[in-house]
Amino acid sequence: MMNQVGSTETIAPADPNSFEIRHVVDASQGQTSYFPPTTGSEAISWTIHRVDHSSTQNGILPSSTPTYQYDYQTQPPTRNVQDGLNAASLPSSSSSVGATNVSQDYNGYASYPNSTDPYGYGTTGYPGYYNSYPQQQPNHSSYQQQPNHSSYQQEPNHSSYQQQPNHSSYQQEPNHSSYQQQPNNSSYQQQSNNSSYQQQPNSSYQQQHSNSSYSQPVGAYQNTGAPYQPLSSFQNTGSYAGSASYSSTYYNPGDYQTAGGYPSSGYSNQTSTWSDGSYANYTPHQYANYTPDSSTSAYSSGTVTAPSSHYQQQQYKQWADYYSQTEVSCAPGTENMTVASKSNVGCPIPGVSSGYSTSTSQAPPSYTSSWMPESSSSEFSSVQPAAGISSASDAYWQHGAPSSQIHITSTMQPQSQKPLDPKTSYDSFLDQQKAAYSQGHNLQYPATHQVPQSYQSPANQQVPQSYQSPTQIVPSSDTRRVSKLQIPTNPRIASNLTFGLPKTDKDSSTTGVAVKPAYISVSQPKANEKVSSNDAADSMLKPGTFPKSLRGYVERALVRCKGDMQMEACQDFMKEMITKATADGTLYTRDWDTEPLFPLPNVDAVNKDSLQSSTPGSSLPKYKRSPSRRSKSRWEPLPEEKFVDKSASVVSDTMKYGGWINANDKDRKPFFGNNGNKENNMSGMKFSPLDQKNASKNAQRPVKKQRYADGFNVADNCDASSDSDKEQSLTAYYSSAITLANTPEEKKRRENRSKRFEKRQGRTESNQFKPKNAGAGNLYSRRASALVLSKTFEDGAARAVEDIDWDSLTVKGTCQEIEKRYLRLTSAPDPASVRPEEVLEKALDMVHNSQKNYLYKCDQLKSIRQDLTVQRIRNWLTVKVYETHARLALEVGDLFEYNQCQSQLKTLYAEGIEGCHMEFSAYNLLCVILHSNNYRDLLSSMSRLSDEAKKDETVKHALAVRAAVTSENYVMFFRLYKTAPYLSTCLMDLYVEKMRYKAVSCMSRSYRPTIPVSYIAQVLGFITARPRNEGSDEKDSDGLGECVDWLKAHGACLIADNNGEMQLDTKASCASLFVPEPEDAVAHGDANLAVNDFLTRTSL
Amino acid sequence: MAAYPGMSMGEAHRRITEYLNRFSDAVSNQDAASLRFLLSLSSNSPFLLSLADALNTFQDSGRLIKHSDHYSQFSDILFNLFRSLQTYRLGNLFDSYQAFEKSANAFIQEFRNWESAWALEALYALAYEIRVLAERADRELASNGKSPEKLKAAGSFLMKVFGVLAGKGPKRVGALYVTCQLFKVYFKLGTVHLCRSVIRSIETARIFDFEEFPKRDKVTYMYYTGRLEVFNENFPAADNKLSYALTHCNPRREANIRMILKYLIPVKLSIGILPKDWLLEKYNLVEYRDVVQALRRGDLRLLRHALQEHEDRFLRSGVFLVLEKLELQVYQRLVKKIYIIQKQKDPTKAHQVKLEVIVKALKWLEMDMDVDEVECIMSILIYKNLVKGYFAHKSKVVVLSKQDPFPKLNGKPVNS
Repeated sequence: MMNQVGSTETIAPADPNSFEIRHVVDASQGQTSYFPPTTGSEAISWTIHRVDHSSTQNGILPSSTPTYQYDYQTQPPTRNVQDGLNAASLPSSSSSVGATNVSQDYNGYASYPNSTDPYGYGTTGYPGYYNSYPQQQPNHSSYQQQPNHSSYQQEPNHSSYQQQPNHSSYQQEPNHSSYQQQPNNSSYQQQSNNSSYQQQPNSSYQQQHSNSSYSQPVGAYQNTGAPYQPLSSFQNTGSYAGSASYSSTYYNPGDYQTAGGYPSSGYSNQTSTWSDGSYANYTPHQYANYTPDSSTSAYSSGTVTAPSSHYQQQQYKQWADYYSQTEVSCAPGTENMTVASKSNVGCPIPGVSSGYSTSTSQAPPSYTSSWMPESSSSEFSSVQPAAGISSASDAYWQHGAPSSQIHITSTMQPQSQKPLDPKTSYDSFLDQQKAAYSQGHNLQYPATHQVPQSYQSPANQQVPQSYQSPTQIVPSSDTRRVSKLQIPTNPRIASNLTFGLPKTDKDSSTTGVAVKPAYISVSQPKANEKVSSNDAADSMLKPGTFPKSLRGYVERALVRCKGDMQMEACQDFMKEMITKATADGTLYTRDWDTEPLFPLPNVDAVNKDSLQSSTPGSSLPKYKRSPSRRSKSRWEPLPEEKFVDKSASVVSDTMKYGGWINANDKDRKPFFGNNGNKENNMSGMKFSPLDQKNASKNAQRPVKKQRYADGFNVADNCDASSDSDKEQSLTAYYSSAITLANTPEEKKRRENRSKRFEKRQGRTESNQFKPKNAGAGNLYSRRASALVLSKTFEDGAARAVEDIDWDSLTVKGTCQEIEKRYLRLTSAPDPASVRPEEVLEKALDMVHNSQKNYLYKCDQLKSIRQDLTVQRIRNWLTVKVYETHARLALEVGDLFEYNQCQSQLKTLYAEGIEGCHMEFSAYNLLCVILHSNNYRDLLSSMSRLSDEAKKDETVKHALAVRAAVTSENYVMFFRLYKTAPYLSTCLMDLYVEKMRYKAVSCMSRSYRPTIPVSYIAQVLGFITARPRNEGSDEKDSDGLGECVDWLKAHGACLIADNNGEMQLDTKASCASLFVPEPEDAVAHGDANLAVNDFLTRTSL
Repeated sequence: MAAYPGMSMGEAHRRITEYLNRFSDAVSNQDAASLRFLLSLSSNSPFLLSLADALNTFQDSGRLIKHSDHYSQFSDILFNLFRSLQTYRLGNLFDSYQAFEKSANAFIQEFRNWESAWALEALYALAYEIRVLAERADRELASNGKSPEKLKAAGSFLMKVFGVLAGKGPKRVGALYVTCQLFKVYFKLGTVHLCRSVIRSIETARIFDFEEFPKRDKVTYMYYTGRLEVFNENFPAADNKLSYALTHCNPRREANIRMILKYLIPVKLSIGILPKDWLLEKYNLVEYRDVVQALRRGDLRLLRHALQEHEDRFLRSGVFLVLEKLELQVYQRLVKKIYIIQKQKDPTKAHQVKLEVIVKALKWLEMDMDVDEVECIMSILIYKNLVKGYFAHKSKVVVLSKQDPFPKLNGKPVNS
């Protein structure tokens, strides 16, 4: 939970990223859909932005393209690294960008799993988005330029889930259709890459990316800031040119290395596998390209370098084309795009995406042609989707709503600027990363702003879009999802890695924070600032930069943790803390040595949160899964499991596409795109057979790939998980439907997040990130902790409750209002709304004297009870409140409330608090006798009665009733009924019907030939007068009439004798008696819950 | 700490070492009997008591345990067992229980690893000790004003032991013993609903025939499940189980027989079978004598008096409601007596019993009941088939069937 909460907040950076991704997606979508989106403003903005971006991008790209692209790419990686890796290695890996990210993720997975998840998700999601974007763009470019299209299309089929829908839409637009398919492929590839990343994924991803990447990566780059990407890609190419260097630099050696390890083995393997599989065509090229790249960590780098230039160029061209195309053609696509954008939005992982994009971009270059077209899409996509989807979904969920919208616009521009600005390669890297961040943010922001985002994203994405734009849109969403998924995994990995090093987590968090600023800065036009911020972020990211005291603090905090789950939760919590500290600048000024340790978070809650945040759609399945996973695996296994989850989620994501789209549609009803999306979905549905096949293939393939990767690359982590991955992926697949149901929650979350972002943006605009962030962060953390606590309350999870310091949670009320409506608490109580004891006393008096009906009184008493409970007041007042409520409830026959009060009173009396003990033990006795019909309970209740109690009149009466009931002595029962003290009558009321029926059936069996109705009426309490002679109660004609009605209603045969007196024909009645259906019966079985009935009975 | 005169350090050392040797020998020889002896804390055997004294004299027993490989593999068992013994000897039962549970836990781990079931006897001892210790610890806790919860803990521990035994294989023979210990715990705690899961696992397991369990455990098991049936007022089933327990019970264990009879007699009474007086005398179940007498005579006053007199006892044992339901049989007997008297007077009108006659008879018994009430009871008697006939409301007469107007229960419970 912490992760999620924290992550969402901490992720805030990530979210921006995600947003960016989303934006990117949006942008891509927008590009395709730009026009289509129909929102006039958006479209306009898009166009404008596009122009700007395109111009900037174009201009930038050409001029600085290489560096810029590199930068971008690097930036994304850095983000990824930061996010996922956070660990020292990650920073370096950041350079590796997408691929790196992936690799990082892998790494991270091992260590991070939980904490990273959010980040990871975000990052993954981002990367995915980026990737997808880039891919799309690249694809487009590559597609257009390269033959891949056909293959892409094929790929799309593979990815078909989402892609197909997209395709359909895309197809509508000629260019787009092909593109879309291709993009889809690319996206898939990316996704697959992502998935593969998780296990093999890194290598595969990079490879794929690199392969497809050219297309994909480009796309990714493009996506992040299409223009930027080109630039970055160019740079990358340049830097990559030393592709090795790329990988090392961009991809972060660490990542690459990991990736490299993966790649080398994985690549070859993958290549082989890929080639074997669908990739055949691709594989060769890709492999060729990849192998070199991948073999080294360089995957991406090598490929990137070569491709990058091409890509960038292509992209540039494409960009231009795209812009034009996208804009023009997008209209149809746009709808799709919107869908995609939605998905993108969901993906919120812009930052990640950037990372991905970078990686992708790198990888893409080399692979572009081969990869993208071929397999990458199918195999990778499948694999990636699995992993990616989950992450994507996660990202979507988390990032989706909030991030996408607000941030995007601002960031977009900055990003674009940044790309232009980038100075040195490193700077550029940073810048790129920043830019990527910014782009991502921008994109995200645009997403919110959609128009701006789309513009920028168009720039970024346009390139991709141009490639894939139509297809990309749809695919992009997939890819995004995939990438997101991947990204998440990556983060997880990174986080996992970091976990080993608590500091790394912090770093990651800090990086995330830093990233956010970077984003902010990005939003600002000047790249330099951004760059600096990026640098700062980078530095933050590096573990070494943390103050020693902080390390000590972290170690102290972690020592307390029992078990991995708690450890992870703590790490998440600390990440958040550090993020906050970084944001408000107190990281280095705070005295960590004296900083009090935070309370141990509730792991379950954290997990749930993280799960929820991570995979909205698949959250349910994940929840279920999570425990077993955790139990199964410790450190390393966890990451793997996460991978699995992600992969599973990927599948679900693909499935979710429809869900997403729908959700998006709902959200963006105005957009035509939605319809288009739906149509796409529908089309996807129609295609479903193929899609499903593809999906299934993908899912399976990914697993295999993952296994490969595991075997080769991450043998440690993945082996165990591969099987479970399959299962998970399947479950995720099936559970995709569930995601739809979750959409409302998602929306809410998105809204919340978007609000948060708004705040931050405002701050960012002023460049005063830290103070604002700090404030927000504090709020956030407070809320988060409160959330965790409240969750622990509700969950009642055995684990956490023991760890809660109840005293510290006890509220002291300050509310002076006497009247207060009852509202079931869903969060920690607010002292301002809780009444202190004196006020509660007055409130009780008020209820006593109130002339209003029971509903009102019940409501008031419940709120009094709640306030008492919240403040842990247990004294005479508590007893009085419960007694009052119990009596009121008895009067109206509200047994539900009565039982609640009775059980409370039981414990209160047991604590020795004075009250009407006797009266209520009598009620209790009656209740047990009359309503529970449980002899053991009755025995224990009776044996618990003290001698003193047995002398009490009320209790005596209750015992007599008990005897009458057990012996079925109806005469005695109704005599006692007439003499019942206090509210015993009310309790007996509830048994009268039963007793009467028993009595009449007994009489009709044993009496012959007839019984006077008057006698029955007298014996069975219809007539209140004390009976003297049977049949002499004419004065009680009302009661007699009632008795006749009752008898008739129960099927008795009545005859009139010679004197005209009504008689019960016993022999005839014997067989005809029945219990009629109660007239006031309600479906839920409790007539008291039927409001109308209740009101009529209780109204004054 | 009290001083233990006559116990030198050397002597203490010797005794501890002797115990350790006997323990490791018992394990290595798979000698369950001696192992059982060594674990039976509450047996108060002189050997263990002197060992406890020795442990209190020689405080560093942990070092001795670790001294040799023979013992150190059981250090978890032995160390906590020693602690438990020490505190047990000092009268600190709470700590003693805590330590003993840890020791037992460690023992179970070992037991799990032993392929054969040789150590079942020792495990029985553990299960028994842990329950008895928990009860005593709870008493101590309650007297200190703390909430007694150790028996609950013992219950969950025994459930764990049950899990170790309940599977297939030779150890399953021991499952019933643990089940019985669990029953004892649950009945004592008043959480008899927890028995259900254990019972289900015993009775539904087809892989192991119930008859293969040790007789002793079968008797105990039947006794407790019979009691559960009494709670459920399922008298035929209760009769079956308790009768099984009675016939298989060791006839020399009179206390056990008495416990069984305590429930079996009310069950038999409610299905119309009355015990001989000598039985009640022999097993000192005189509280039932008046009840039986009331049934014989149709003396409602006597029955009510007997119930009131022993109300606490009957409530605690859980037979109160069962006995109370005998009232109807007493009424039946009373009406039958009236019928017999009328028959002697005037055989032709004997089958018509006037309500006022019954009311008068009850008045003689000092039962102040008015006509309506008696009418109601007669109606119930007819309804429950304790009396054959019908009631004529107009003339206020119970008209009895001429054939078998008072059917005997003959082993069937009174029902509607």
